[in-house]
Amino acid sequence: MNETFVANWKSQVKKGTLTFIILNVLKNNEYYGYELIEQIRKHTEIEIAEGTLYPLMNRLKTEDLVESKWVEQETGIPRKYYSLTDAGIETLAQMNIYWANLEKSIKKIIQ
Amino acid sequence: MKTEDIKFKQKASQRIYNDYMKRIKRATASLSKINQDDIYMEFNSHIFEAIQHKNEANELDSLLDIIEKLGSPEEVLKPLVADKKLEQATKTFNPVHVFNALVLNFTNGISYILFSILYLFLFGFVVLILAKIVNPSLVGLFMKKDSLSFFVLGIFNPQDMAKNQVTDVLGNWFIPVMFLSIIIFYFIITLLLKFKKSINQKTHS
Repeated sequence: MNETFVANWKSQVKKGTLTFIILNVLKNNEYYGYELIEQIRKHTEIEIAEGTLYPLMNRLKTEDLVESKWVEQETGIPRKYYSLTDAGIETLAQMNIYWANLEKSIKKIIQ
Repeated sequence: MKTEDIKFKQKASQRIYNDYMKRIKRATASLSKINQDDIYMEFNSHIFEAIQHKNEANELDSLLDIIEKLGSPEEVLKPLVADKKLEQATKTFNPVHVFNALVLNFTNGISYILFSILYLFLFGFVVLILAKIVNPSLVGLFMKKDSLSFFVLGIFNPQDMAKNQVTDVLGNWFIPVMFLSIIIFYFIITLLLKFKKSINQKTHS
């Protein structure tokens, strides 16, 4: 087995699906950055380089898929909550359809 | 909105935290105050929440772990700063922001190099204005008499002028016309940059 090849492939898959995963995690909830990372970890066992989440969230914001708001906390350190915009919800629905079809095709090939 | 700095029990932790936050400030210094504060607050919140969740006995260990996972501010914030700078540059048309944005995005593709060349081309006009001041009779927009077929924008020596039967058509208008050209081209190029940015975003999605 070519382990390096598999490792590279895995990291490409993770990189390519991260946005998709983030949008799905945000589908029914709003989360602040750290919580979002925890959720990704919990659902997918993907360990992301945490700092890279924030540039990515900014891209999603400029794409108008995600919005954010600062919420004051009793601790004095506010949290920035992210949620999907209407356009984000619509886009995600399209992405999920595509993914379901892809999954079906891949399952057929794997058999 | 304001954020409070995190207080640590151990001196070493406090120093590491202060240093890290200072690096964030330095890495984002070229951005607007609002963007700077936003990024600062978000990383501050991340560190704070991570510490709360970890609840480890050793504060220093968990802080080091959190910071390591976040990565170095200079590296992690690079794409974020480049994106924000480009937004700012194409929104304000401020040459300083445009210059910074191009430098930050230089590694993001050949097109930014092309844009740099276009902006550099504007300096050609500036040089012409200076040349006109130094040597008024030799610099101008030269055209062949009664035709639009041949022209030279720049410096022309007197012998060639006679040989080619060309005259300077702008005269004293040369400097104002060049000046106006610079402004017009600047806006066109910056608008193109803005256009390119929106194409970028569409292809990313």
